[in-house]
Amino acid sequence: MSYSHDVLVVGAGLAGQRAALEAFRAGANVGVISKLHPLRSHSVAAQGGINAALGPGDSPEGHIYDTVKGSDYLADQDAAKILCTEAGPCVIEMEHFGTIFNRAPDGSLDRRAFGGASKSRTIYSADRTGLALLQALYEELGRERAITVYEEWDALELVMKDGRVHGLVGLHRKTSKIEGFSAKAVVIATGPAGRIYGKTTNSHSSTGDGNAIAYRAGAYLKDMEFVQFHPTALPHTSILITEGARGEGGMLKNSKGERFMERYAPNFKDLASRDVVSRAIVTEVREGRGFPDGTVHLELMHLGREKIESKLQEIVEITRKFIGIDPVTQGIPVFPAQHYMMGGVHTDPKGATNLPGLYAAGEAACVSVHGANRLGANSLLDTLVFGKISGAEAAAWAKKTSSATVTQGEVDAVTTRIHTMWERKEGETVVKLRNEMQNAMDEKVGVYRRPDELLAALAKISELKDRYRNVYVSDKSTTFNLNLIEAIELGNMLDQAEVLVAGAVARTESRGAHVRMDFPNRDDAQWLKHTMALPSKEGPVLTYLPVTITDYQPKARSY
Amino acid sequence: MKVAYYPGCVAQESGKELDIATRAVAKILGIELVDFPNFSCCGSGFIDEANQTLNVALNGRNLAIAEKASMDVVMTVCSTCQGMLAHAKHTLAKDPVVRKRSDETLTKIGYRYQGTATPKHLMQIIVENLGGAEKLRPYVKRPLTGVKVAAFYGCHILRPHDIMEFDDPEDPHYFEDIIRVIGAEPVYYRGRVMCCGFPIQFVKPATAERIAGKQIQEAKRHGADTMATPCPLCHISLDNYQKEAGRAVGEELDMPVLHFPQLLGLAFGLDPKDLGLPRHLADTTGLVEKLSRVAVPA
Amino acid sequence: MVAIPFEVSRSAGPGQKPRFDKFTVNVSEETPILTALLQIRSELDPSLGLRYSCRQAICGSCAMRVNGKSRLVCSTPVGPEFRAHGKVVIEPMANQPVVKDLITDMTPFWDRYRRVHPHLILDPAHPLPKDKESSMTPEQFDQFKETPRCIACGACYSACPALGSDDEFLGPMALAKMYRFVVDPRDSAYRQRLATIQNQSLWLCLRCNMCVEACPKDVRPAERIVDLKRLAIQELGAPEQGSRHAEKFMTNIEDGGVLNEMKLARETLGIFGTLKQIPKGIQMMRHGRSLKKHPPIQGVQEVKVIYSELNKPEDLMHRPRPAGKGVKGGGQ
Repeated sequence: MSYSHDVLVVGAGLAGQRAALEAFRAGANVGVISKLHPLRSHSVAAQGGINAALGPGDSPEGHIYDTVKGSDYLADQDAAKILCTEAGPCVIEMEHFGTIFNRAPDGSLDRRAFGGASKSRTIYSADRTGLALLQALYEELGRERAITVYEEWDALELVMKDGRVHGLVGLHRKTSKIEGFSAKAVVIATGPAGRIYGKTTNSHSSTGDGNAIAYRAGAYLKDMEFVQFHPTALPHTSILITEGARGEGGMLKNSKGERFMERYAPNFKDLASRDVVSRAIVTEVREGRGFPDGTVHLELMHLGREKIESKLQEIVEITRKFIGIDPVTQGIPVFPAQHYMMGGVHTDPKGATNLPGLYAAGEAACVSVHGANRLGANSLLDTLVFGKISGAEAAAWAKKTSSATVTQGEVDAVTTRIHTMWERKEGETVVKLRNEMQNAMDEKVGVYRRPDELLAALAKISELKDRYRNVYVSDKSTTFNLNLIEAIELGNMLDQAEVLVAGAVARTESRGAHVRMDFPNRDDAQWLKHTMALPSKEGPVLTYLPVTITDYQPKARSY
Repeated sequence: MKVAYYPGCVAQESGKELDIATRAVAKILGIELVDFPNFSCCGSGFIDEANQTLNVALNGRNLAIAEKASMDVVMTVCSTCQGMLAHAKHTLAKDPVVRKRSDETLTKIGYRYQGTATPKHLMQIIVENLGGAEKLRPYVKRPLTGVKVAAFYGCHILRPHDIMEFDDPEDPHYFEDIIRVIGAEPVYYRGRVMCCGFPIQFVKPATAERIAGKQIQEAKRHGADTMATPCPLCHISLDNYQKEAGRAVGEELDMPVLHFPQLLGLAFGLDPKDLGLPRHLADTTGLVEKLSRVAVPA
Repeated sequence: MVAIPFEVSRSAGPGQKPRFDKFTVNVSEETPILTALLQIRSELDPSLGLRYSCRQAICGSCAMRVNGKSRLVCSTPVGPEFRAHGKVVIEPMANQPVVKDLITDMTPFWDRYRRVHPHLILDPAHPLPKDKESSMTPEQFDQFKETPRCIACGACYSACPALGSDDEFLGPMALAKMYRFVVDPRDSAYRQRLATIQNQSLWLCLRCNMCVEACPKDVRPAERIVDLKRLAIQELGAPEQGSRHAEKFMTNIEDGGVLNEMKLARETLGIFGTLKQIPKGIQMMRHGRSLKKHPPIQGVQEVKVIYSELNKPEDLMHRPRPAGKGVKGGGQ
């Protein structure tokens, strides 16, 4: 059996659904393939809000400037301009789709302060904005009956012919059947590969499968070394505590009771950009001013019970349920954890990759609007703005493309590869290899990066890639074979980890979230450029692309 | 101890045996029941669906009647009455809008609700006021040895837990603790915390009866000699409608269903007839027969 | 660390009879059950099937039954279950077919969700403001600000005894979702939405509150269903059995302060319904269960005063009819 669409979207989070909706509106026959039910997508976990310069005295220009500054000048300014000028219409549209946003007393959309922003411009739905947006978009999409959603299908490989996309090969979890999906255009919207780290706020499903299949098919991965560590995650589980908590007035305190951010960012304090706050926390703990469990505390107590329980309801539930701490009366122990990938599949501002017919959007993509460090509440915005654009572009491409085919032979080739792995009778377990990868990434490719550690990590990933060729899938059943799926995901993650570390080794400067102990300064003369990676037998081949600078020349960054 | 006794509508009419058994058991336990012939119906959850404030005020009046007589505890013998009175108390404490409307109205008829009286089911009084199931031991004259009893809690004594604040809402144990103390063997089955179907008996009898049938069936599969319930509405579903319930699940059912105070009364050595067992529709003679083999010490 | 015995329901596929596999997991008591299950997967049996993703109670993937209770396992710790039962028994959600092990086919759940038309229905005559958000008062927002908390995990669906007994019932999640749209000031199908559930599904809720306990996000579906019942009565009156019973029960108590069971049966069921109850009545009388009318309570006049005072529209429900909707105009 095979399936056929004009546009096939991979991933059904905010970016994927928005792309699907737009492609459908443009008249395309649209399919969406997702390894999860759409409402389970990781977008659901976004807490704090979505930025749009809708407030009095605010402007898209202010938003662009903050975004570019936050990016440590690595964002492409033409793309950032699109992001910020489309922000208002995007949020209004989501409101019209039914999103339940918090309201100001006058009935307009309420706004809260967020990190790195010069104005209070974060529109929100309590501390579950991703959930509220995903529900509304899914409900809107639900009207468009002609969109076929293939739930619980994994995308395995893209099918490329005559220099363009023809579709992909997927695996149905329910049956383990491998089938072809022909499509004139494919939109990758599979989110990040946060799970290459062990300490991550990301969902278990965040394995970046779309990035890996695009990369293997010859698409550039861009700026993968820029990894955002969210300053406030719970210890052990790395569950996210939203920046909105500080936006509402929460403060970070060390074990001496000092509000230490005053020292690191005299103006923005606790609401400096995330790279700055994460480094400050790591420094405080390293210098002996952390709590015995190696954390600092996020204090909300002074906000009062009513505000905490109404505007930070999920945080209250998370801390009470998961660590038995009541933020109304106690500080929340926090430490940075991997949170966001600024890098991803390289696209132009229209969502197009270097492969004709292949598009990407959301956290899977790198346009780039976040550069070396993303501002809080810009990621939800990114998914919707560029999801919409890439959907429209994909539909336009499909319209002018004659046909797409996936042959049985192409399906069989992928099936053989998967089955060879699956039928192996012995080897190393997925769990073992995955743990080693995650440990290497946690320990050696973190907030502060040392050259020797980066090289060791690179060697480790390369070793793991070798050992992965002998990975063992002990479960031979054909219904929901998670053992097999995890093996496939591991392969995808190793490819991305390799690019990430290679990029970090090569970039001999400190910019945004990428901080080299041996090169502590930003080096615009050498490194004001994007890292572009393509696969080869010897590993990633790195080239570089200039940054688009229009209005804002790089200057020293302080908060 | 002295309590305001709130028998509820069913115990005063079609389920009179509940009232009879309650009075007999309370006497043995030293609970002095004070009657208030001016108590009204609790609304049974139905009035709440039609008019929330009216329902709260009705029960605010009931509680205020007890308060006027300086009674701290209003004793119920019905999970639903317990639920409605506790719900009203909760709403009056948490919802200033409803509270204001209720207060205005009660003032007109000479009451002042203060929130000092607490509704408590007899089972709750045993657990919380008498000191727990163990305290029943001295009163047990006829241990129900060898009798397997399937407790059927009735929803409203347990849920929602943040309002009822009694036992675990899905995994309770107080009833089974009591069953053990009176010498019987508790039967654990999932239906014990489920609904009996009564709330939709008038809406869609076939479904209500299927629900009741499932619970009786499950108790039977687990070897229960009898079911027992602290809620007379559950009793209606499980006993009065047992024949229909059996038909709904395609199995002839023959399960005695005791009111909670009847179960205690039997263990306290009271005569099944004096506890009103012959009034039940599901035959209890087999159970009584089984009990008669257990000698009652003089 | 405590050695926790797990018994996990295993099933190879649809229609297969499940068996229970025993595992012992060494974890601390605060460990979420999901973490323990993943430990079983990684250390003992990689073939164990379950859905999970976010591990922070927001994606809704991991609802299943824990010692019989419907729970989201990522936010349910091992300790209390172990202490209460001496073991942790894990089964797939109820009321849905099993696909494998702890994975269910949630099609019946999603079908019901779709049946409530879960999207805004706008009135073409009153479009939303162009290029601007629709205005919403804080009061309007308050009415449904909690509703996006629902993560569609299905725990309520699994816990609901009415769903297991009546296919007509839409279930807690779908009805709570219906509530979300009914009170949305942007939605124009207020009356139609209520009308679609008034006859089939609304009154099949048992008010047992199992869903309230099972819901990991405190959505309290049973309470939203009661809200829908109140709105339906206000808007559409009492045209069928369920609402008629509520109304007649209310007026019944006004008469004497105490329930007149015979009268209630007569009024709710009508003549034919009552005739059908005659054999039951005879059976009851044989056992001495009279249905004679209870005399009015003392102070029945006080009850009548309460009835006459508290019948204003705002008394009917504290979450009042959504502003601008309903019988007073608009909202069609």
